[in-house]
Amino acid sequence: MTQQADLARPAPPEMVIDALSAPFWAAARERRLELQRCQDCGLFIHLPRPVCRRCGSFRLAFEPVSGRGSVYSYTETRRVFHPFFADRVPYLLASIELAEQADLRILSNLVGIAEPDVQFGMAVEVTFEDLSPDLTIPVFVPAGSLA
Amino acid sequence: MRGGRRVAIVGVGYSDAGRRTGLSERHHAAQAARAALADAGLESADIDGLTTWGGNPIDFAHMLGFSPLRWHLDVGISPAFISPAIHAAHAVASGQADTVVAMRVILQQPSRANLWAGGTGMAFDAQFQHPFGDLMPAQWAGLLTNRYLHESDATEEDFANFAVTQRGYAARNPEALMREPMTVEDYLAAPYISKPLRLLDCDYPCDSGAAVIFTTEERARDLRQKPVFVEATGLSANHDMTFELLPDMVRTSPVHCLQQLWSNTDLSAADLDCAQLYDGFSVITLQWLEALGVCEPGQAGPFVSSGGTSLTGALPTNTDGGACNVGRRHGANFCIEATRQLRGGQSGERQVADAEVAIWANAVGPFSGAMLLTGS
Repeated sequence: MTQQADLARPAPPEMVIDALSAPFWAAARERRLELQRCQDCGLFIHLPRPVCRRCGSFRLAFEPVSGRGSVYSYTETRRVFHPFFADRVPYLLASIELAEQADLRILSNLVGIAEPDVQFGMAVEVTFEDLSPDLTIPVFVPAGSLA
Repeated sequence: MRGGRRVAIVGVGYSDAGRRTGLSERHHAAQAARAALADAGLESADIDGLTTWGGNPIDFAHMLGFSPLRWHLDVGISPAFISPAIHAAHAVASGQADTVVAMRVILQQPSRANLWAGGTGMAFDAQFQHPFGDLMPAQWAGLLTNRYLHESDATEEDFANFAVTQRGYAARNPEALMREPMTVEDYLAAPYISKPLRLLDCDYPCDSGAAVIFTTEERARDLRQKPVFVEATGLSANHDMTFELLPDMVRTSPVHCLQQLWSNTDLSAADLDCAQLYDGFSVITLQWLEALGVCEPGQAGPFVSSGGTSLTGALPTNTDGGACNVGRRHGANFCIEATRQLRGGQSGERQVADAEVAIWANAVGPFSGAMLLTGS
């Protein structure tokens, strides 16, 4: 499911990656989905934060997650809001509930499926897409379609 | 409000709002503030507090001759105009100031750049949005709208009826920017921005300034307008600013916000004569209607389609036409409209007869606020 970056395309939107988020993107480059987890109480935390909101611990580290989840909500964007996405419109954004923890959500794209075929609650799994030589993002496909 | 001095709204005003007016934030702020002072019958020297989202309160105060101030607050990203309004009301109630101008100044042009830049925290969080093509609020609104359609009995036709009802009010509001008649077919013919969110579910970007003056009951009695009183307020924040990751996209912070508000008054939703419920996107108003309990959960769509929010309905709602039609005033329009309704006779052909109690509310999702007003 991966696509090779086309160097002729406009650059993806600029983004700020710092020490707090760098492990997420480094893992994505290696085609793993890793999320921040409290090393004291076990809570997964996304988006990355300096402190655990449940127990107050600062002992947080990134750990691999299964990449399995379900579609909580989705929307098909029809407008070009940034030149990088001009040739992808329409595209699907989705809020994915990950299997590891109730209410653990990640925003991503649904790929390999057309909008009319998406169902609320449908099982999905992660794969990865190279947006540029330096940037790989986790995206989701219907469960079982990676085989 | 329980505790402190009783607070009244005594003046309201707008700048010359419109699309790409070419006027600066200061210009819109100055026009709105002067209009509110004139409405109230107050002089610059009477003002001792100022708060704004958009521009800087210290700068505005000097420009307008509100000097010296003894209270000011620069409100950043927040639940729209409700934030400066609530803080202004509580500043008067607590005695930190006697007469406070609360403002929302918002320019159309730089909004996208501002959204992308965000604040410090939001710029960080954008790395989990922008690479996925999640760049504009219309997209989280698409997620919220779709989940709402999934969980509720609402249909796209209900959303169409919502837009048509709002336009019907706007046709009766000379200050609205969008007034031409609209039909259900017009709504359904409008393009999707982020399906199922359509163009006509979105507020209408414009340059605008709005100002509302809060003071004590004692001072209010001597001024030009019939005072409108702040009966209760509610604020809520229950998530970071990433709407896309809300665990529940249907029952969001307005539920908690209204619990706070109703705990501060003997009135209840049954006492409301009209409601002005934020409509940056249509689904927001539907969430507020359900949070208010004016219909059963999941029934706000049918409630709208059956005329529940019309002038003759159970709860006339967004009677100035809403931000889709008066333009993006970020809730200040709803404070001003509620005030005019309760003064009586100032809302022209859209006046709710004998309106005594009104609520206006802002935002949705991670944060929201509401203010209950009474005419006596």
